[in-house]
Amino acid sequence: MIFSFAAARQTGAGYALAAAAAAGTTLLAAPLSAFIDKANIIMLFLLMVFMVALRLGRGPAILASFASVALFDFFFVLPHLSFAVADAQYLITFLVMLAVALATAHLVAQLRQHADEAGEREQDTLALYEMARQMSGTTTESQVTDIARRFLQEVPGVQCSFWLPNDADALETLDDPYPLGDAKLARRVLTRGEPIEQVGMSGHGEALICLPLQAPMAIRGVMMIQLAGTEAIRQHHLLNAVASLVAIAVERLHYVKVAHQAEVRMESERLRNSVLSSLSHDLRTPLTALVGLADTLALAGNAGALPAQHAETARALRDQALRLTGMATNLLDLTRLSVGDQPLRCEWQSIEEVFGSALQLLAPALAGHDVRIELPAQLPLLEFDAVLLERVICNLLDNAAKHTPAGTAITLSARLEDGKAVIAVCDNGPGFPNLPALALPFVRGSGESSHPGFGLGLAICKAIVVAHGGTLELNNLASGGASARFTLPLGTPPQFEEETGEPTP
Amino acid sequence: MSHVLLVEDEPRIRRFVRLALESQGCVVAEAETAAAGLDAAGKIRPDLLILDLGLPDRDGLELIRDLRAWATMPILVLSARSLESDKVAALDMGADDYLSKPFGVEELLARVRALLRRRRRDEATTRVQLSDGAVEVDLTRRTITRNAEPVHLTPIEFRLLSTLIMHDNRVLTHRQLLREVWGEGHSDRGHYLRIYIGRLRHKLETDPTLPRHLLTETGVGYRFVI
Repeated sequence: MIFSFAAARQTGAGYALAAAAAAGTTLLAAPLSAFIDKANIIMLFLLMVFMVALRLGRGPAILASFASVALFDFFFVLPHLSFAVADAQYLITFLVMLAVALATAHLVAQLRQHADEAGEREQDTLALYEMARQMSGTTTESQVTDIARRFLQEVPGVQCSFWLPNDADALETLDDPYPLGDAKLARRVLTRGEPIEQVGMSGHGEALICLPLQAPMAIRGVMMIQLAGTEAIRQHHLLNAVASLVAIAVERLHYVKVAHQAEVRMESERLRNSVLSSLSHDLRTPLTALVGLADTLALAGNAGALPAQHAETARALRDQALRLTGMATNLLDLTRLSVGDQPLRCEWQSIEEVFGSALQLLAPALAGHDVRIELPAQLPLLEFDAVLLERVICNLLDNAAKHTPAGTAITLSARLEDGKAVIAVCDNGPGFPNLPALALPFVRGSGESSHPGFGLGLAICKAIVVAHGGTLELNNLASGGASARFTLPLGTPPQFEEETGEPTP
Repeated sequence: MSHVLLVEDEPRIRRFVRLALESQGCVVAEAETAAAGLDAAGKIRPDLLILDLGLPDRDGLELIRDLRAWATMPILVLSARSLESDKVAALDMGADDYLSKPFGVEELLARVRALLRRRRRDEATTRVQLSDGAVEVDLTRRTITRNAEPVHLTPIEFRLLSTLIMHDNRVLTHRQLLREVWGEGHSDRGHYLRIYIGRLRHKLETDPTLPRHLLTETGVGYRFVI
């Protein structure tokens, strides 16, 4: 289209066209006036006003309305070529004609305006839809903000920046060399969760609008828009729509990331578990052969088939292999516990039973010591993982046995104290050297001492006790000797109903 | 002369186990894989099967399940897995006892002897005298004495003790004991089992904290040694 009515509507050209239309209608009607009634000429003028309102808008239509009445009076009402009116009745005609023309102009122009606005909104909606479609395929936040920025560049007089939190939760703009606003302002909007509008200082009617990117679950960042004056009001709904589309896209990416991280974590846990269990298996297989073969030799020695010296060597071999097994088990368990993926198999059971099984396991190591057990008759059941707690007690007892001279007493006790169960292993040996550093992995009591052990023992004890919700304390007693005590929460044991049947004779 | 079938993929472990068993006069057959083991078990009909759980071709647990479909010979499981749940699974599946790797020759022979002895003494034991001589149990007459004094057991204590004596020298898992004594559907009664075991120990053991008959297999179950 060479001539744009829409453009004409904006300028003075519209009025000129309206005037021309009125003049044209007069020229068209003049030769016909001899044949047709004056009422029909009025109809022609009203038709012209209607067309002008439709095409050129309200202002030109009002001009055309007045011009129509004036021209009708001048050319078609007696006396011709004069504004004077012979018949006073025509004054009513003029008034009605003017009123109808103006009403027509107003209604048509309003309709037209609504249609135009609807068209614009449709365009906006289409563009927003297209933007949303593009955003749904994005994989990074910078792609999202790029698409939004490209979209807003189409709107005249608008500039924008996006402030999004990074992994360290600091706000930053992505690939934006000249960002609007600053991180402080963005942070303020993010914490308040409400838009902030700043009218520009430069006096050019510029405004900075900061919109929080409000997604369903959280505020995902801040959009800052600089607008030239009056655009601000007209585009507000559009900007809000862009902000929420960006917010939703960023939130989607956030959850994609979260899901991905969870998957990676699960996968690495699975891998770690399988590495640990195959390591455990791979270590145990040769150790089993070593222990068994050395044992076979030692037994042959007992039967006299081997010189005593060699039989002794075989026994030492077996003992060292068993010790190595213990260390490997400790190491693997500590790894499992310290990464926190070994689930506790807690059950309600008696501490007495664990004392018994630990003492039975350690019977050879404790053979040279005087072991005393202090156990109140009525201890409630406690909830714990028996295998792990047995390890704690074994390690503490073993520690005590290794660091005290043969023949001394080792006391294993349990009692209730301050709503907790307290289990303690006390000896009267030399006590712990460098206390605070103990119970960290790989810290041993005294340098490279002759006592075997990695220093792993106490670290495992601590990890197990903490996993049960208790604490482990190491102390040197005033009376001499060391005390290792740990607590276990009491909790509420499950119900127990006594039976009622007849006892055996 | 007992026939023992050893299913284990590691040759050095097979070697020392065979040496140990032969020193006790057993005839030992070997298999390297689960498939060969199943085959040999059918042909030889051994008195005892020693089975490694970590076989290359199949899970040892599946092999136990298949064997238990037709065979009643005792099964001793060798487990290199560190988690107790694997041992429990093997026992629940029908294995009779387990040894955690690594194990000593004497430990192995003690288990083998106990399993073979039970095999020969097939009829249910009804009268038992515990090894320290103080406690006598007569299951048919429901009488228990300690130093000739009667010991009164509640019905559940008595059921628990009979179950343990009937399966002496083998590990019974918590689940097996709960099912035998309390019946199906009481697997949530683990604490009852713990309490009753404690009471039995106080009634029968010289030192209940250091039991000599009613032994704890931590994380797995209990073993009764006469």
